[in-house]
Amino acid sequence: MDRRKFLKATGVAGIAGLAGCSGGPTESGSTATEESAESTSESTEAETTQESTASADSEVNVGMVYALGGLGDKSFNDAAKRGIERAESELNVSYNEGQPSAAEEFPTFQRRFAQSQNPDYDLVCCIGFAQKSALQETSKNFPDQKFMLVDEQIERDNVASYVFKEEQGSFLVGHLAGLLTNQQFEAGAGSTSGDSKKVGFVGGFEVPLIQKFQAGFTAGVEHADENIEVTSAFAGSFSDSAQGKEIATSMYEDGADIVYHAAGGTGLGVFQAAQEQGKFAIGVDSDQSQTDPNYADVILASMVKRVETAVYTSVENVAEDSYNGGELTTLGLEQDGVACVYGQELGSEIPEDVKSSVAESRQAIIDGDISVPTEPQ
Amino acid sequence: MSAGTDARRTVESLLRRLVALSGVERLLISLAALVLAILVGAGIILTSGRVATCTQAAAVYFGLGFCYDPLEVYFVLFNGAFGQPFNPGIMAGNLVNPTWSPFTGPLTFTGPLLTTALFTAGWNPLNFSVALTLKETTLLIFTGLSVAVAFRAGLFNIGTQGQLVVGGLVTALVVGSLVPVLPGGLAGALLLVPVGVLSGAVAGGLYAAIPGALKAYADANEVITTIMLNFIAAQLAFVAVSEFFRNPESQVVETAPLPGYATLSSVVFPQGSDFSLFALAFALVLVGVIWFFLERTSYGYDLRTSGIQPEAAEYGGVDAKRTVVTSMMFSGALGGIGGAVWVLMVMGKWQTGVPALGFDGITVSILAGNNPLGTIPAALLFGTLKSGSLAVQFETGVPKQLVGVLRGLIILFVAMPEFFRAIGTNVVDLDADDSKAVATDGGVTGGDDE
Repeated sequence: MDRRKFLKATGVAGIAGLAGCSGGPTESGSTATEESAESTSESTEAETTQESTASADSEVNVGMVYALGGLGDKSFNDAAKRGIERAESELNVSYNEGQPSAAEEFPTFQRRFAQSQNPDYDLVCCIGFAQKSALQETSKNFPDQKFMLVDEQIERDNVASYVFKEEQGSFLVGHLAGLLTNQQFEAGAGSTSGDSKKVGFVGGFEVPLIQKFQAGFTAGVEHADENIEVTSAFAGSFSDSAQGKEIATSMYEDGADIVYHAAGGTGLGVFQAAQEQGKFAIGVDSDQSQTDPNYADVILASMVKRVETAVYTSVENVAEDSYNGGELTTLGLEQDGVACVYGQELGSEIPEDVKSSVAESRQAIIDGDISVPTEPQ
Repeated sequence: MSAGTDARRTVESLLRRLVALSGVERLLISLAALVLAILVGAGIILTSGRVATCTQAAAVYFGLGFCYDPLEVYFVLFNGAFGQPFNPGIMAGNLVNPTWSPFTGPLTFTGPLLTTALFTAGWNPLNFSVALTLKETTLLIFTGLSVAVAFRAGLFNIGTQGQLVVGGLVTALVVGSLVPVLPGGLAGALLLVPVGVLSGAVAGGLYAAIPGALKAYADANEVITTIMLNFIAAQLAFVAVSEFFRNPESQVVETAPLPGYATLSSVVFPQGSDFSLFALAFALVLVGVIWFFLERTSYGYDLRTSGIQPEAAEYGGVDAKRTVVTSMMFSGALGGIGGAVWVLMVMGKWQTGVPALGFDGITVSILAGNNPLGTIPAALLFGTLKSGSLAVQFETGVPKQLVGVLRGLIILFVAMPEFFRAIGTNVVDLDADDSKAVATDGGVTGGDDE
């Protein structure tokens, strides 16, 4: 019968096709380690790579609970992941990870790691301020479990809190944007007109944390020139790149030369808009010209927030038995917790005098000569 | 006869067969669809297991290594949803003892026939995974009921999500403002929880009255208006909370947390599981009440006839416009209760980023054939898949997006027969039998000839 032939043919073709696929497990052998190093270096493949599941033979087991944007945001969560990957390769650490898709899932994920016996997690890393209220409950219910929290503070002996001075780094990129929008500047796929005095800011949510970015950026722009107008908008999401693109496009069409985003995955849309409009953008959290090389020709700089440092340090502390539970660690410009990192492709084309005045204001902030506001005026 | 009418006939007779199915047949079709979805899903897991890169094969089939093992994924999906009642060891292979023979020992399930125990030792049904499954089930019963009631009245209420958001917010605000004036402890709980649920129902109902009135008096399509009102609800609630009712101590846009006694506490189940048996019991009672209301009361009869044949209902003395508004309000009130339970049982406050319970409710309702009683198993399937997919994320290396695909496949396959059946009931006339129609036709032409 026809049907039977068809089924047979598709079956055979399917299996032959699968066999031809380039991926699949590298068969158990001596080349396994080489191959795995190779595959993780390619970011696209690394996403589909099977995660190293925490195992009993490692010294330290870490559970990672990511923020809502999820892995692949090329920004906040990916930075945290870099931290744990570094810990994995440098300290005898294995880890397991979870990506909640709604705020109500935070307690489930945190508890899941906290109550696990096999493996027994030595540290649970909670990435992002949104996990605070869930972690307050969880850390109370599991007093013997060590936690770490990024971007918020919980005063309990089993929680190590890490916060950043985002306003300081944002001030620097604001200063950079202000200096560049005032002059004729062309590099990569973008250019500034020189005559319009406008820059933009796109935030994820209008919450105090993101307002710190906004306040620092605005202050930095004003530091360069008081007459430059900063338009700000909030996308209402950390993972809606379409919305980000829409907002940024209208800003560029409105005359803005440079848009800075603090919106996680939403920011990818800002880069797309910059490319289409031939303007510039400034990345956040990671060096986005490196994490997202497709947009390196429009990313002037990134306000790097070294979430990886926080993650790595906390794991290192646990590994060395010097866990600092109950303490708040603040990472600013001085500790290199935040920084203005120039784009891989465009960085070399930014005029030296601009770079040196940004470096000057960096020193001034560290010395306390400039105080950066944390709330928008 | 042209090919077009031929095709039409085939479709019609297929639909007719679907509509005429008995309950048992529908159940069997659903089970077959589930199996088919699992088979298709297994193919997808295998394919992506070849495309993905990993150092160690999770499974080897046909002499080929795969990064993900479909058997393991589906086992963890259903086993994990209930906190592993079955021993994960049985997936390790060699379940049946190869050296076993009838002469070496008695035929028992835990005896020497099997190499490992079938059930996990010390499995406690009151665990977090079961709580998670039932939590999701409870919430989806409310939203599923909400959509089903509207469906029965001939209305597509796509706005359950918005009604849930509004209901939840009003519950959080009402309970939050009553907390300081009412006594704490058990007395407070007995007052606050019912008041909270009631205010959620009222708010959701009133919010749904808008599209109801627009439909009845301005002839605006309720599908469009309810969808639009979802966005309005989400944004309004966001602005209201971030501007006026914000918890000042939090970075997140949320209301101040309600004290523990004002929320539905987890009885029996472990603390912090965000699930309360009271809520599930309430949901089950509500299912019974709504079933009775729809099937056994005169208002329910009016509602159903308006759905099946509005003209006939009006001829029978039903005020069609009023029925549209009241049934929308009724549906919205159920959505609002869902929001109230979400706030009181799960969050203990209203927080931005309300999960898409209302949208899932549409699928639950379709899966249930728009029958209130059917929402229970339909919601349970959803809850199981939700809880199980978290387990898959934790215990296997399968990315969560792929698990989402598997969930979607199961829902799609199981819901489609019911979906077409729902369409069929509107298109096909059951009494007009195929063969009879041809016979009458033939009879008439024959009569003309004579």
